[in-house]
Amino acid sequence: MRKAHWRAGLAVTTAAVMLGAAACGGSSSGGGSGGGGGGGSDQTIIWGSTDKPVSYDPAKAYDLPSWNVIYNVYQTLVRVNPDTLKTEPDAAQSCDKSADFKTWTCVLKDGQTFSNGDPVTAQDVKYSFDRLIKINDPSGPAGLLKATGGEGFTVEAKDAKTVVFHLKNANALWDQVIATGAGAIVDSKVFPANKVLADDKIVGSGPYELKSYTPGQTAQFVPNPKYAGDLELANGGLVIRYYQDENALKLDVEAGKVDVVYPALSPTALNELKGKSDVKEVAGPGGAIRYMVFNLKTMPGDNDAQKRAIRRAAAYLVDRNAIAQDVYQGTVDPLYSMVANGLDGHLDVYKDEFGDAPDKAKAEQELKDAGVKTPVNIQIWWTPTHYGALSGDEYTEIKRDLEGSGLFKVDLQSTEWEQYTGNCLADKCQAYQLGWFPDYPDTDDYVANFYGSASFLNNHYDNPKVDQLLKDEQGSTDANQRTKDFEDIQKDSVADAPIIPLWQGKQIAITHGTVNGLADTLKPDYIFRFWVLSKS
Amino acid sequence: MARSSGSLPRYLATRIALVIPMVWILLTVVFILMRVAPGDPVQASLGGRAPAAVIEKQRHELGFDRPLIVQYGDYLGGVLHGDFGESTSSNRTVTSVITHEGAATLELTFAAMLFALLVGLTLGVIIGRFRDTPLDVAGRLFGILTYAAPVFWVGILFQLLFVAKLHWLPSSGQADVLQDLRLHDNAHTNIYLVDAIINGDWDGFRNVCVHLVLPGLTLGLLVCGVFIRLVRVNVIQTLKHDYIEAARARGISERRVVLRHAFRNALVPVVTVVGLQAALLLSGAVLTETTFNWPGIGQALIRYLNNRDYVMVQGIVTVFALIVVAVSLIIDIVTALIDPRVRYS
Repeated sequence: MRKAHWRAGLAVTTAAVMLGAAACGGSSSGGGSGGGGGGGSDQTIIWGSTDKPVSYDPAKAYDLPSWNVIYNVYQTLVRVNPDTLKTEPDAAQSCDKSADFKTWTCVLKDGQTFSNGDPVTAQDVKYSFDRLIKINDPSGPAGLLKATGGEGFTVEAKDAKTVVFHLKNANALWDQVIATGAGAIVDSKVFPANKVLADDKIVGSGPYELKSYTPGQTAQFVPNPKYAGDLELANGGLVIRYYQDENALKLDVEAGKVDVVYPALSPTALNELKGKSDVKEVAGPGGAIRYMVFNLKTMPGDNDAQKRAIRRAAAYLVDRNAIAQDVYQGTVDPLYSMVANGLDGHLDVYKDEFGDAPDKAKAEQELKDAGVKTPVNIQIWWTPTHYGALSGDEYTEIKRDLEGSGLFKVDLQSTEWEQYTGNCLADKCQAYQLGWFPDYPDTDDYVANFYGSASFLNNHYDNPKVDQLLKDEQGSTDANQRTKDFEDIQKDSVADAPIIPLWQGKQIAITHGTVNGLADTLKPDYIFRFWVLSKS
Repeated sequence: MARSSGSLPRYLATRIALVIPMVWILLTVVFILMRVAPGDPVQASLGGRAPAAVIEKQRHELGFDRPLIVQYGDYLGGVLHGDFGESTSSNRTVTSVITHEGAATLELTFAAMLFALLVGLTLGVIIGRFRDTPLDVAGRLFGILTYAAPVFWVGILFQLLFVAKLHWLPSSGQADVLQDLRLHDNAHTNIYLVDAIINGDWDGFRNVCVHLVLPGLTLGLLVCGVFIRLVRVNVIQTLKHDYIEAARARGISERRVVLRHAFRNALVPVVTVVGLQAALLLSGAVLTETTFNWPGIGQALIRYLNNRDYVMVQGIVTVFALIVVAVSLIIDIVTALIDPRVRYS
C-alpha cells in the first residue's frame, strides 16, 4: 500500500498540471483561426458545418455538402459564372453544341494537371463520366446525367484534348449539367473504374487539394500548386470542421474558433447570435426549397379521383405562413410553386389555385365531391437527419393543419436519412418530406426533376403534356419560349397537386470577424467558392 | 492473514482462463445480435435504392451471402487476428477507427477517471469522517445528483456557463483547429497529450489540456458519485473497527487515523468498482463526445449507426466488449494482489 503513494502523487500531479493549464490559459484566444499574422492570401479560413458529406468522390456525391468540396478540388469542363449564371470555360477552352443540341464538343486547355502531376486529358474526362455511370451509386448523380443526357448517352475522347458528348436527349442546357459536381474530372490513374475512392485519397485539378482528412471531423484544403486555371485564390487554405451538434458550433463561432458557418444554423441559434459582437449574418438569394410529396400509388384513396381530391384537400389546408413564422421564425418564405422564386417562369400557381390561407370549406367540398370518407387516415414521413433540426416541428405543424380541419387523421413517422430515402423513394411511404437545392441555376432543374416521368421522386405522377413541355424547353434556347413552357408546366400540374411546395430558404452564412467574399459566392447557383474568401 | 504460497498463481491462472469463454460468449452474442437485428445491412448501407444486382454484388463482397456458420467462423478468425472488419460506408477498417478515434476516447476517459477519483475519493473521505453533518448531507446529495443527471445535459450546462457566459474554456473539439491538424500530422500514439510531450509541443499540450477540462469534468462527474458513496460507506465502517480506536488511544492524530488507516482500507472495494465503471465511462463517452464534438470512438459509433454501417458497428461494439473484459481482468488481478481475502485458498 505504501507504494501507492507515488502513484497517487503522479495522478495528483497530472491533474494539477491539467487544471493549472486550464486556469492559466482559459480559452485559447484566437488560436484556432488564421495561419499568418496579417490579412490576405496567406490566411487559413476555418469553416464550421454540421453537414454530413456523403463522399468526396464525384461518383457517389449528389448532396450539397459533398459538392461544396468537389467544386473546389476538381475542375469541370465549364463552370458557372456567379454573376451572369452562365457557363464559362474552366478546364475546357470551349464547349460547342450542335444545332440539334445532341452533340457537344469540348476542347481542353493546354497544360492542365492534377495535383499529383498527371496531365488532364480527354481520356480522363471520358473516364470520369463513364465511371460515374458504371458505378451508378444510389447516392451519386448518375440519375441526373441520365435524365438530362438521356439513357445511354456516350462520351468520346476524339483526341488528347477533344471530348465529344453524344446525347440521347436534345438538351440546350448540357453545359450547365457538366458544370455541376457530376461533371468533375478525375484522374483515371487514381480513381478505380468500378468503385468509389476513399475520401482521403482524392486527387483533382482544381484550385485546392485535400491535405488531410479525418472522417466526420476535419478536412484541410490547401492551394493546389499544380493548378493551371485562371482563378485567383484570396486565402492560404481552408479547413472544414464538422460538428455533430449545432450548439457546439454556435459557441465556437461566437468565440472566434470558427470564421464561417455555412449553411446557417437553425433560426433559434441565429436569433441567439444576433447582437453578439463580431458575429455577422450574410445572406444571399436562396433556391433551396422544401415540399411534401404524395406517392400516387400508396397514398389513401380508392381511385385516382379520390386520391386527387385528397391531395387537393391537403393543399387547401397547409398553412405555409404558420410554418414560415412559427417554426422558422421568419427566416424562410412561403412558397407557392415548385419553381423557386426569382427564377424564370416562376408563378404562384398554388396561391392562385388554393389560396394563401387554409380553407376548410373548400377542402371539405373536394373530399365530398369525390366521395371520400373523412377523416382520411394518412401516414406522413419526415426525417430528422437531413433537413435540419426543425423538420419535426414543421411536420407537426402540417399535422396540426390537417387534423385541425377534422378531415384528416395524420400518423407522423420518421426515420434517419439513409433508411428514409430507401423507404420513401421505393413506394413505402404515402406522403413524405423532401427538399431541393438546385443542381444548376435554371428553372429546368426544378421542373424536370419533379414533374418528368423519369423524376427521381418516383411518385408515379404521369402527365404527358408536361413531359412534352419539358422536351420542348430543354431543346430550345429561346428564352421567351422557355419561360412560357415553364409557366405552362406549373399551370398544368397544379390542379393535380402531386407535390405541395412549402417554403423557400435564403442562403445564410454566419461569420466571426471580417470575412470577405461571402457575398460573391452566396449566389443562386449554390456553389461555395473557397477561393473568394479572405479575412482581415 | 497469512498468504498461501500457491493461491495467488492459481487464482490468476483461473481468472485468466475464465476470460476465454467469457470473450467467446461475448463475441457470439454480438454476432447474433447484429445478424438478427431487423433490416438488411447491405440494403441499408446502400440507401435501399440500389438495383438488385448492386445489392447482390455488395452482399457477395461482404460475405453476407455465405452460410451463417461460415460467417461466424470468419468473424471469430478475424477477431483473433485483430481484423474486426472494414467499413461499408467510409473505406476505413475498424482497426484504424479504434486506433485513431479510440486514442481520443482513451484520453477523455483517462481524464474523466482521474477527475472522478480525485473528487470522489476526497469527498468520500471527508463526508465519511463527518458523518451526519450538513457536510455529509451536501456530499451525498452531490453524489446522487451527479450520478442521476444525464451526462449530455450536464455537458450543455457546462458549455453555457464556462463557455457562453464566462468565456473561460472552449466548447468543443480536442484542440483548436490548426493545433488539431498539427498534432494529427505529427502523431505517434494518436493520444494528443502524449504526442505533444513527445514532440515538445507545449502549446499543443496546453491547448489539449484546456479542451479536455469540460468533457473530462462532465464524464467524470457521472462516475464520481459512485465513488463518493462507496468511499463514504467504507470509511464509516472502517472507522468503527477496534484498531481505529486503538490508534486514537495511542494518541495518533485524527487526520492520520483517517487518512493512513481508515482510508487505505476503504480503498480496497473502490479498486473493484473502478473496473466496473469502465463500462459506464464508455457508454457515457458516447454522449459526452457528441456534446463536445470530441473525435472519439463514441462519436464514430453514432456516425456509423446513422450510416447503417453494420460491419463498423459490430466491430466497435466487439472492441467495447473486449475492453470491458480486459479492464475487469486487470481489476480482479489488482484486487487479488492488494487483498488476500480475494484469492482462492
